[in-house]
Amino acid sequence: MSDLLIKTSWIIAAVPLISALLIILFFNFSRKISAFLSIGAVAYGLIHSILILYLSYKDPHHVLEINYPWISAGTFKLFVGYLVDPLCAMMLVVVCAVSFFVQIYTHGYMKEDPNYSKFYAYLSLFTFSMLGLVFSTNLFQSYIFWELVGVCSYLLIGFWWYKPSAANACTKAFIVNRIGDAGLLIGLLILYFSTQNLWQDKITLSFNELKNVLDTALRWDILPVVGIISITTIALFVFLGPMAKSAQFPLHVWLPDAMEGPTPISALIHAATMVAAGVYLIARSYPLYELSPIAMNTVAWVGGITAIFAATIALSQFDIKRALAYSTCSQLGYMVMALGLGAYSAGLFHLMTHAFFKAMLFLCSGSVIVACHHEQDMRHMGGLKKFMPITSLTCLIGVLAISGFPFMSGFWSKDMILAVAWEHNKPLFVIGSLTAMLTAFYMFRLYFMTFSGEYRGHAHPHETTLAITVPLISLAIPSIFIGLIGSPLIPGGDKFSSFISYGEHHAHHEWGLNVFIKEFLTIQGMIPFFAFLIGTTLAWLVYRKNLGLNTFIKNRLSVFYKLSFNKWYIDEVYFWGLNKLILPFYKFSWSIIDKVIVDGVFVNGSARVVSIVGGGLRYIETGRGQLYVLVIFSSVFFAILFLLSKGG
Amino acid sequence: MEFLMNFYLHHALSILLIVPLLGALIIAFLPDKEPICRILSLIFSLDILLQAFLIIFSKFDPGLTALQYVENYRWFGDTIRIKLAVDGLSITMVLLMAILLPVTIIASEPIAKSKPKLYYSLLMILTTSVMGVFVAQDLFLFFLLWELELVPMYFLIAVWGGLNKEYAALKFLIYTFIAGACMFAAVLLLFFSSGANTFDMEVLSQYAKSLPHFYQMFCFVLFFLCFIIKLPSFPFHTWLPDAHVEAPTPISMLLAGILLKMGGYGIYRICVGFFPNILVELALWIAVLAVVNIIGAAVACLVQDDMKRVIAYSSISHMGFVLLGVASLTAAGFSGGIFQMFSHGLISAALFMLVGTLYERTHTRQISDYGGMTKYMPKCFYLFTLASMANLALPALSGFVGESLVFYGAFSSDFFGNFPTRFHFNFGQICVLFSALGVILTAGYMLWLLQRVFMGPENLKWSKLTDLRTSELVVLVSLLVLVILYGVYPVSLSELYEPSSTALVESVGKIIGKS
Repeated sequence: MSDLLIKTSWIIAAVPLISALLIILFFNFSRKISAFLSIGAVAYGLIHSILILYLSYKDPHHVLEINYPWISAGTFKLFVGYLVDPLCAMMLVVVCAVSFFVQIYTHGYMKEDPNYSKFYAYLSLFTFSMLGLVFSTNLFQSYIFWELVGVCSYLLIGFWWYKPSAANACTKAFIVNRIGDAGLLIGLLILYFSTQNLWQDKITLSFNELKNVLDTALRWDILPVVGIISITTIALFVFLGPMAKSAQFPLHVWLPDAMEGPTPISALIHAATMVAAGVYLIARSYPLYELSPIAMNTVAWVGGITAIFAATIALSQFDIKRALAYSTCSQLGYMVMALGLGAYSAGLFHLMTHAFFKAMLFLCSGSVIVACHHEQDMRHMGGLKKFMPITSLTCLIGVLAISGFPFMSGFWSKDMILAVAWEHNKPLFVIGSLTAMLTAFYMFRLYFMTFSGEYRGHAHPHETTLAITVPLISLAIPSIFIGLIGSPLIPGGDKFSSFISYGEHHAHHEWGLNVFIKEFLTIQGMIPFFAFLIGTTLAWLVYRKNLGLNTFIKNRLSVFYKLSFNKWYIDEVYFWGLNKLILPFYKFSWSIIDKVIVDGVFVNGSARVVSIVGGGLRYIETGRGQLYVLVIFSSVFFAILFLLSKGG
Repeated sequence: MEFLMNFYLHHALSILLIVPLLGALIIAFLPDKEPICRILSLIFSLDILLQAFLIIFSKFDPGLTALQYVENYRWFGDTIRIKLAVDGLSITMVLLMAILLPVTIIASEPIAKSKPKLYYSLLMILTTSVMGVFVAQDLFLFFLLWELELVPMYFLIAVWGGLNKEYAALKFLIYTFIAGACMFAAVLLLFFSSGANTFDMEVLSQYAKSLPHFYQMFCFVLFFLCFIIKLPSFPFHTWLPDAHVEAPTPISMLLAGILLKMGGYGIYRICVGFFPNILVELALWIAVLAVVNIIGAAVACLVQDDMKRVIAYSSISHMGFVLLGVASLTAAGFSGGIFQMFSHGLISAALFMLVGTLYERTHTRQISDYGGMTKYMPKCFYLFTLASMANLALPALSGFVGESLVFYGAFSSDFFGNFPTRFHFNFGQICVLFSALGVILTAGYMLWLLQRVFMGPENLKWSKLTDLRTSELVVLVSLLVLVILYGVYPVSLSELYEPSSTALVESVGKIIGKS
């Protein structure tokens, strides 16, 4: 029975695809059927994947991998298939759970949209692509689904295509991701090219064989660690993919703009699942990074810089969704940093906890936006606690979870990352702690501006419908408790790290309340907690007690304020480069080459030459047929004569 | 019955060529009414599709590298014969033509309103000549059919084209004529210098390999010039955007869909098949040319304001992958090049159809006149999105397969391994790195086009427009379903040509091994 369940796990991905196709082809006339198909598909997936997680947890060493050939040319073969191991099982549950709740929420959020059915079709399509990515057995298959989730994201960001901002955002998102994808593709090409002999009678670029192949390549001196064609180069090229997908600096620019899409997809795609795919890919291709200290350091620093960079921007944003988007960027930075520091389990643990609380926070923001009649500016909110008790409570839970309030899910995962940073890289620990402080500040700022004080808008806010509040409450529960599985409080200690780990297996963990207190009362345990306290208190002082810190910074340190408010002018720099340098250069070179040189000189020039020559030839061209025939025959004759003499 | 079947199988290819001619003749005697002519030619084209399937599924053995369905008739004495045969490479191209033809005829409805008899007859003659090029195994016949294609194409552009049609048609004629002249010179030179006293391509290809180096080089260059004018490739590409802009939609579909592939086919059949020595010598230059095409045309796409020009330049860019695949001299590269030809045939036809439907309704091709078209033409938008995604090589759509195979082939090519550079990457790898930039540019221009035409605030000017008609939907859906099919399950196409292309690679491999 259990074997059968694991063997048929591909159905989890297939069902959303089928439901998407059914909706697109047959049922787009009926809202009820579309919603039922789409939600039903992911509900099935959720149940099945929970069973798989349970089975996988019981026996983590039972790994199933099945492959089918996709194309071959000569010795070059590519495969697609599915792989079920602990990491995959964990991701399956995260994706299905978040997708399930978001799809229920969608019914409440999109019920007035004329393209309701289409939205469900896209959501199902996305769920399929994301699950396909999770199931991937090899890097190549990952690349396929990697692009497919990108397209779904493109379609969903551009769902309200008539808004120019949405139209710009979806194009931008796809193109920035394409830059990453091109890097990823090059990385894969170099990797496969340099190790192609080692992949014979193996699944090309398979994750399970990656470590062996790289070790062999190193041992036989096929591939050096450092150099132009080396493991480091490959890892860095491959890293470009996750950098774009997980919105790491400097390819983060698409994520905040992606908030132009409907809120459910901001929660599902641009907070919980797709953006985490980058982290997932790094984890899957970990053998590559692990072998190269330079690549590991780069990953860690890119993550750390993104974390603090995005946090500084989030401080001053007024659009509730953009503030959350930058916080997503920042949290993704934590995960990437963790993987770069070698904290494999911690990074993935944060991925999981973040998926739940960030999805919930986005859904809260959506609920607020609906209640305020599509107002997204926090300056026109405030005092919503009175009107929307459920939303404000769940939002508070989310804010506490992300800021690292003790015992909430974000607390455990963030602490795990910072503890590793303390051991391996003190500067990154400082950056991480600072980010934690900023996170607490801007998250409470968001909460206070939205829910406390007096209402400053002109709409008539009201609590939203059950379809919206039920998913909020459902996601609030894991947001509080899911972190406990990685804590030393439960019997047996940190269950997460013993389930999902890389390299050495932590079979045994210390556990108990005293272990927790002992760990908490160290410097690396206290600093993040104080960071949380300081951030929260500052936010409370500024936004509840009207401490004039804001105006002080705005007036006295306007440079910093402007930098933060204008997102460090990164977009401006990019667009300046694009519009002032690249496009004019293209236009110039195209008109020179095609219009002037090829068409002007070559084509029209040769026409002129012909007409001049023609003028001269008038004397030879008598128009008498005999002469032509004579000329043709004599030339053919001489040609044959010449050739015969050569041959003879 | 069995006798009939046998008779058919022994004469399958000649029947394949005669049927369209017969169609042209019958149409000439029909009343000058568009629906009648269209339905008749549609019946003929479906018959051709059926024949193509019959040929593939009855006796064709893709595992065999030798020529199949051979027919050999005397024509001008023993020297010039009518020899028809197919191998995996030819049959793939025949299949593409057979798929595109009915689709094009359905799409012709609004265009052929004036002079329908002439239009459909010319289309049928075009079919014969294009099919003929792919199945001819006699070099003289090959040349004749190659030239024959010019006549209907010239008239199809010059009579049913846009405002500037005479200029475009003439430019097309002159370029292609020069190409033909190059080929004629090469054919004669090859014939006389080999002394084989036959135009049989199988025989000539053996003779050609043992010719003196100078003759080989000369023939190769002439043939190659002819084919890259057709492909087209820089610096002989400027006829294509002009021709596309002026040609009516169905003719653009055929032009991009199959006529350009004649160039690619010629390179595989003659440049690779006859002169592998020279190919090996010049492969580096061809790779450079390919990269210039891939990047240059993509750059040109970004700065166009005419939708048809964007798609036309995008064709140039995508045909660059065929050149890169050939230049890589690897199995994956060759296979990728053929796959790319096939898949680009489908995708570019779909894109030209989409642009055509817009143009038919708005009578403008300027991108800046559009905006927010989704409001009025949602179906068009979805299909355009799908076709754009296929064009930018999204995985699981057919464009991806060809490009990734070519990338891999050029990257891992042993031959390019002989040309290291100072940057540690060998020459081919640097070409691939540059071409990978083309992938980003392609995404850029396709999505930018999509955005400027279909997204943004709606334009009230177009509020009276109607969405796609059923006939247009049939055309687009049948093309795009194939794009998805071959993208998800590429083996179904590649198994058809794989042995032939592997055999070609092996013959080239021997040369590299010797040198």
